[in-house]
Amino acid sequence: MSTASSSTEAHAGRVAEAVRAAADVGALLSFRASGVRGRSRRLAYAGLATVLTLTVLAGWLPAYLPGGDRRTDVLSLLPSAMVGILVIAIVSAAASGGGRELVPRDQAVAYPVSTTTDHLGALLMAPLNIAWLLQAWTLLAAMAYVGGAYWGLVLTQLLTLLWLVTATALAQVVGWALEWVRRGPHGTWAARGLMVLAGLGGAYLVAADRLVPLLQKSPTLQVSIAALQGRTGVTPLYAKTFLVLLVVAAVAVVLGAVAASAVNRRPARDELRLETSTHQPRPHPGSDLVAMLRTDRVGIWRSVPLRRGLAVLAVMPGLVAIAGGLEWEMLPILPGLVASGGALLFGVNAWCLDGRGALWRDSLPVAPGLVFLSRVLVLVEVLLVASAATLVMASLRAGLPTVDELAAVTAAALVVVLQVVSASLRWSVRRPFGVDLRSARATPAPPLVMVGYSARLALSTTMVGLVFSLLVRLSWEWSVAVAVPFLLLSAWRLVRTANAWGVPEVRSRVVATVAA
Amino acid sequence: MSVAPAPVVDVRSLYVRFGEVDAVRGIGFSVPAGSATALLGRNGAGKSTTMRVLAGVIPPTGGLVTVAGHDVRTEPLVVKRLTGYCPDVGGLVPRATPWEHLQLAARLRRLTGWEERARELLERFDLGAAAHRVTAGFSHGMGRRMSVVLAAFHQPQVLLLDEPFDGVDPLGVEATMEVIADARAAGAAVLVSTHLRELAVQACQDAIVLRGGSAVAALPAARMTGEEGAGVYRELLD
Repeated sequence: MSTASSSTEAHAGRVAEAVRAAADVGALLSFRASGVRGRSRRLAYAGLATVLTLTVLAGWLPAYLPGGDRRTDVLSLLPSAMVGILVIAIVSAAASGGGRELVPRDQAVAYPVSTTTDHLGALLMAPLNIAWLLQAWTLLAAMAYVGGAYWGLVLTQLLTLLWLVTATALAQVVGWALEWVRRGPHGTWAARGLMVLAGLGGAYLVAADRLVPLLQKSPTLQVSIAALQGRTGVTPLYAKTFLVLLVVAAVAVVLGAVAASAVNRRPARDELRLETSTHQPRPHPGSDLVAMLRTDRVGIWRSVPLRRGLAVLAVMPGLVAIAGGLEWEMLPILPGLVASGGALLFGVNAWCLDGRGALWRDSLPVAPGLVFLSRVLVLVEVLLVASAATLVMASLRAGLPTVDELAAVTAAALVVVLQVVSASLRWSVRRPFGVDLRSARATPAPPLVMVGYSARLALSTTMVGLVFSLLVRLSWEWSVAVAVPFLLLSAWRLVRTANAWGVPEVRSRVVATVAA
Repeated sequence: MSVAPAPVVDVRSLYVRFGEVDAVRGIGFSVPAGSATALLGRNGAGKSTTMRVLAGVIPPTGGLVTVAGHDVRTEPLVVKRLTGYCPDVGGLVPRATPWEHLQLAARLRRLTGWEERARELLERFDLGAAAHRVTAGFSHGMGRRMSVVLAAFHQPQVLLLDEPFDGVDPLGVEATMEVIADARAAGAAVLVSTHLRELAVQACQDAIVLRGGSAVAALPAARMTGEEGAGVYRELLD
């Protein structure tokens, strides 16, 4: 008699593993939550409640807005908005090496965490991303606005939420697949090649005016029509779409687990290459500041997640601007997006760049003010370079600017960069976290904290961007005049944070935390 | 009549408080020039905190701590110039190379002509081949050895080594012993914090045993050698 396990037994084993993996997600969530105590716990609850409240409000209140022709306009954009959430989720998953970790790698290493658990954790983490949340809220709001105030709005939004789940699960599969390619032979170049091809494909669609017709043929058209039919109850199309999305989501979750497992079997070549890379010595630094800047810069440019994140940030908004044919009037919004995104890569916990070397660095004989200045300059230069790259790309379609337009966009970029840097350094000193940024999946602060930071940065920089969007129409002196008080306010905040950093008790707390 | 040399490290009634926790409670000791003292004790005894205060990384909550006559609270920069510190955890900037660490330290310490000594130390600690490699990929032992190099290479007046032997291979231990001996010979005050009693005894003449943030004994390190010394140490820990 054969002693080999039957296919039924193997299937049962896989199901048992899946159940166990799902249960482990709960255990990891509890572990993560146990580390959040006191005021942090209250803030976390408040943050979650805020996100849920905003989600409910976004999916409900716009239904009571007056209708008219705009309702038809918004209706025509719904399929594109649904594709938008898929694109954002893919970019996020691909840039973060498959998705964010539920528990940081160095903490999870002691536990038998399966790749399925890791995958499910990454799926749970995906919505804790302000770009995803904003897009999701926009979609829910648009659905409510178009659908109007009927009881059936519940059904409409149920299908919309199911689309959000499906799109995120599909994006996770793409994210893992790209990471699998990246970890393969010549993977870095292969992944870059794929991204260039995607960029060129997008450029072709825009240049040939085929993007809009393509979006109109997107399957999301049927999803949006089915969702809106929910107003009148469960129609056959609604039921069919619901079932299809459910099946696609389930298949995507399973495929994602398979892909995550395949990724896990390949070494993280990017990270390993950088961790074992050699660098020929440069001439000795000519000043203390240059020496500090050099050390701070290597912390950024030799880190996989930071390099990858900055490249995505510099390129993606530029591509969107080209695809959307943004005029100079809209470009002042872009530096805010780029600067916020750049700060969220590491700036909001800027001292973590030193990692466990923070204690040694603090034992060196250098004035705290100079250390602070170096960190400010490095953050400013990184964010300015990324913003400039975006604006140059955007200008390819927007054409040559007038002096007034150039002044408004430049002023907007300077204001938001300094605004973001001052906020980031303030948070870095006030709430440091000991994190290891070696992994492309790491974030500089816990997920909920990141959502809070990103929401605040997005709000403030978007407001500034909108102000300068209006100033584009006025003469350049107006842009300069409005920029000066903003810059002075940020400078004053930076000085205040520098003074706090100069206090030995504050500095030692920050250093001990990031070095832990 | 011989006059005792003035202590280079002088710690009097040192208190360090983190929130509700007293990490160090009234420790006092001194280390004269040309001598090595071991700080021994269980986890949480206050050894690393004391070392961090001496390195100017943590300000004392109370008491007086001077290094070569300079108060660590009021003259932290001067103290940092005089000391060389190997922290208990990490100690290396993850994405910089050993040579870049040395360049940074040399610049901030205003060293000239330091390259030869740096190369010699890297070779002695078997790190010559990794001098231009990013330290993120270093093993724990390599990281510890490099931290000792960074603490010692500018020949400080006070050498502070926190757990320098942790996870280090026998050749690395030997090189660290040589560094301690060289520092003493050059007139430096050396303070070594470690859990490894036998190595502490080998490296130092004096030992201070800490318990619960307080110093419970100061004795010649030789009294803690062998089985009998282990018994003495064991009693002091309880």
